[in-house]
Amino acid sequence: MADLFFAGVDVGSLSTDVSIIDHSGKVLAEIVIPTGVNGSQAAEDAFDAALKLANLTRDRITRITATGYGRASVAFATGKTTEISCHGVGAHHLFPKTGTVIDIGGQDSKVIQIDSKGRMLDFTMNDKCAAGTGRFLEVMANRLDLDLDELSSPVNIESKSAPISSTCTVFAESEVISLLAKNTPREEIVHGLQRSIVNRIWSMVTSVGIEGEVTLTGGVAHNKGLVKLLEDKLGLTLNIPENPQTVGALGGAHIARRAYQNSLEAVTI
Amino acid sequence: MSIRAELKYKIMKDYGAPALMAFQDFRRRKPRPIHEAFGPPLESNKRLKEILSRHYFLSRYAPGVKKVAWVTSGAPVELLRAFDFYTIYPENHSALVGAKKQGAEYCGIAEGSGFSQDLCSYARIDLGHMLSGKTPAGKLPKPDLLFCSNNICQTVLYWYKAIAHELDIPLIHFDAPFVTTEQTEADINYMAQQLQDMIPILERVSGRVFYLNIFEEILERSMETSRTWGAILEAMKAQPAPMTIFDAFGHLAPIVSLRGLPVAQDYYHILMDEIDTRVTHGIGAIRDERYRLIWDNIAIWYKVRFLATFFAERKMNFVTATYTNAWAETTGYLDVKDPWKSMAKTYGQIILNNNLKHRLDLMKKMIKTYAVDGMVMHSTRSCKPYSVGQFDLRKAITADLDLPAVILDADIADERVWSEQQIQTRLEAFCETLEGSKHG
Amino acid sequence: MGVLPALYPRELLWAFDIHAAEIWDPPGEILHANAHLQTTICPIVKKSLEFILKEPQIINAGYLFPHTCDSLQNLSTQVKDLIGVSLPVYTFYNPKGSFNNTTTKYYQDILKNFQSTLEVSHGPLNPEKLAAACVLSHKIDSHLLAIQQARMADRLSLNNVEYFKLMRAQEYLLPIDYLNLLQQVDLLEQPFEASKARMMVSGILPPPPEILEFLDELGLSIVADDLLAVSRRIPKFAMDSPDAPLDYLTDRFFVLPPCSTRGSDLDERLHYLNSRMDESRAQGILFDMVKFCEPELFDHRLLVKTFRGRNIPVLTLETELDHHISGQDKTRIEAFTELLFEMVSA
Repeated sequence: MADLFFAGVDVGSLSTDVSIIDHSGKVLAEIVIPTGVNGSQAAEDAFDAALKLANLTRDRITRITATGYGRASVAFATGKTTEISCHGVGAHHLFPKTGTVIDIGGQDSKVIQIDSKGRMLDFTMNDKCAAGTGRFLEVMANRLDLDLDELSSPVNIESKSAPISSTCTVFAESEVISLLAKNTPREEIVHGLQRSIVNRIWSMVTSVGIEGEVTLTGGVAHNKGLVKLLEDKLGLTLNIPENPQTVGALGGAHIARRAYQNSLEAVTI
Repeated sequence: MSIRAELKYKIMKDYGAPALMAFQDFRRRKPRPIHEAFGPPLESNKRLKEILSRHYFLSRYAPGVKKVAWVTSGAPVELLRAFDFYTIYPENHSALVGAKKQGAEYCGIAEGSGFSQDLCSYARIDLGHMLSGKTPAGKLPKPDLLFCSNNICQTVLYWYKAIAHELDIPLIHFDAPFVTTEQTEADINYMAQQLQDMIPILERVSGRVFYLNIFEEILERSMETSRTWGAILEAMKAQPAPMTIFDAFGHLAPIVSLRGLPVAQDYYHILMDEIDTRVTHGIGAIRDERYRLIWDNIAIWYKVRFLATFFAERKMNFVTATYTNAWAETTGYLDVKDPWKSMAKTYGQIILNNNLKHRLDLMKKMIKTYAVDGMVMHSTRSCKPYSVGQFDLRKAITADLDLPAVILDADIADERVWSEQQIQTRLEAFCETLEGSKHG
Repeated sequence: MGVLPALYPRELLWAFDIHAAEIWDPPGEILHANAHLQTTICPIVKKSLEFILKEPQIINAGYLFPHTCDSLQNLSTQVKDLIGVSLPVYTFYNPKGSFNNTTTKYYQDILKNFQSTLEVSHGPLNPEKLAAACVLSHKIDSHLLAIQQARMADRLSLNNVEYFKLMRAQEYLLPIDYLNLLQQVDLLEQPFEASKARMMVSGILPPPPEILEFLDELGLSIVADDLLAVSRRIPKFAMDSPDAPLDYLTDRFFVLPPCSTRGSDLDERLHYLNSRMDESRAQGILFDMVKFCEPELFDHRLLVKTFRGRNIPVLTLETELDHHISGQDKTRIEAFTELLFEMVSA
């Protein structure tokens, strides 16, 4: 199977990511661009940019899997798969001992249980509300004039954490405003906000259950503070991919590759 | 029942518990300062704390001596007392957890295990306790039996079913048909028969024989206790009221969870005496009672102190409530000479099992006889029987009696359900209206 | 008569020539009901109240509120005593307990009481009509049981949309018309080629046609159900022909499948679900949960745990009974499909 290439295109509500791999699974290019208002266009642009980076042309790509919220709008895709399967497969290829995947995206979060082959066994999604997603941090950063970096900085786990009890982002926001008005130290608020997200994620994780190694994907994996707190809460070390945002696209590319291999096997039988 | 366990229980009951109370007394830090808006605190508070602490403390020595039952607040517990079950009331325990602002923590345990956040917080807290063993009461015994009645809500049945399955223990459910207009003969017969059907199971689980005369004695005691409680609540008609409903929320614990036991009966005599004395001397719960209010629904356990202070500062006292009244309202139906049917009438007609016309009439009567100036309704997310219909009750009452009313959206024990801004705004607007209407 | 969910002695209504028009999820936006009900009340209660407030002309004999849960319990008295409607409001209590002397006697008593209540406005009951109603009910049950069996064995060629349309027709058709409809359903002699993946659905109502259509597109067939509006109202097995109507009605009630609203024992529910799954060879189960539905939500956790423990894929959706399918739910369903197909091919 020489010189065959496969691609995964993940059209999310905030970013569109593309991953191109070869037949051996080696990653040739990965691209992340903002989705903007036109997912279809973003998919085209991201794909072209990835091709350029990989020094390939469209006709060289054997199969393309589209995934993510906007997967239906990817005209050039040869197949569609949910981002849930894709994240599972992607995490499996990056960390083969993964049993649980936690994906914290900009607008949703999910926990996926996978088997030793990267196949999905169970999943849960939080996509009806901003709490527990990157959006929560964004809202807090924006409204309260805090830096996103500040919100990402690791806190001392033993240090005081301002209690933010609301489960709803809107109410949590007003709680933080009150805390600021009472001159609560910023570190305590940052700690409290981080804890709030971690608690939300933790309840999602416990509902699916932890098996094997845990891999964290999605843009929020860059948030060192959250990662530290989450590891502390879960009582384990998390696998963090080098490019946490493109795991879905990578998974899609692998699924494309697998689909091609299966079709070959079907023919040879 | 082992001799050792029996001995340990007896020692703890007669010596251990009193010693603990004395020790706690000794260790007690300087009491939290009472806000100046309040009148002198009730002396009986001390005794109340003692008997409740003691009850929880002693419970851990019950296994091996007495069978332990978890009971719902509206269940006909007198029947269990005839078999000498050691009773724990999860609702009381959950309220305690809520009051300590630990509700979210316990709920989180239940939610992490797969229970929806949309379920009653008493249930979630109790399930959280059951799953983890955590409790602010030190240590609670596992139940041998679950005893519930849907006369307060159907939820307790679903909740207790889940526990029965998890712990693999028997559940006895007293099915109390909802009173649409009036209780029918069929309803009464059904309930009376159910009670008698329970006896063989209770005998088997407890290992004790049912004696009607013992049961009657307990029933008498329960009636007397309820009557005293009712009289205490009536005493709040005095102006100024000798107690506040927020106090009453605490003082109702014995009538709910120790009803039928001598300790509860004795306690309310003590409290009644103190209340009578206060009424005689015109001692009020708050120093300057200008406005008298009615509270509807269960307490917001994690905000009792805050609310009590808020209103006291504004010279407002809660003098009556539908919740505290529930354990006195239907006592009159009890009749030792006709235990089964009379229990059916008493337990079948408690306020939450009765139609909203009845509730409306009762509330209007209370407002009139207690000289109430305003109404605060707690719309609790957890309790559907109490909350569904409140909007229309409020409308009917304010239209008919022309008094200010406010609805507070909160919860009984999950402190996360609290929007500071919204509540503050509503409370302040209510107070402005109240102050304006009475003196404007 | 407008009948709220869920279990009621419909035969008695038929005997009085009262047409039961069931109110489950009437279409239309919720506007006025919000003035009477908090935000955390289930959509069935809200939509029903919205419907009642419209004073639909089609309802002229009154409303019947069977006792199903706390919210519906309170809605009945809220409508009757506080809001007020120009039509009579009836209630019917469903005992929460299993079959024994005490519960059966009570059920018979309340049937008689209900009969007396209806006689006040509809005149004395003609016993022959009640007997005929029971016979009709029995025939309908027999057909429904046969259809269920056929579905599980792939001898029914209806897709998901058609199947549940048929099941839900009983909510508004006259019983005799419903029987005719059922008699026309084609039950095949031999099973046809099975669909790619088989699933069961549990909850209060079937998923809306939009979701059923989507499932059909994906090649997922709902081969069995544990829905209050469908299977939980069909006796677990064929009953003997009705002799004494009151006995028949009482027995029928207690022979219904277990349900959270009746406080059924959890082991009983698990046993029923497991046997349905096995009989229908369903590979996965969808819990279509109505938001804020307490009886279902309490049981849900154990049911999910049990099936996951058996390595059976489980999907839980939360519905507010809108007739549309969100992108998020589409993703969930698709992921569930991927799971099932992986299992089928593995």
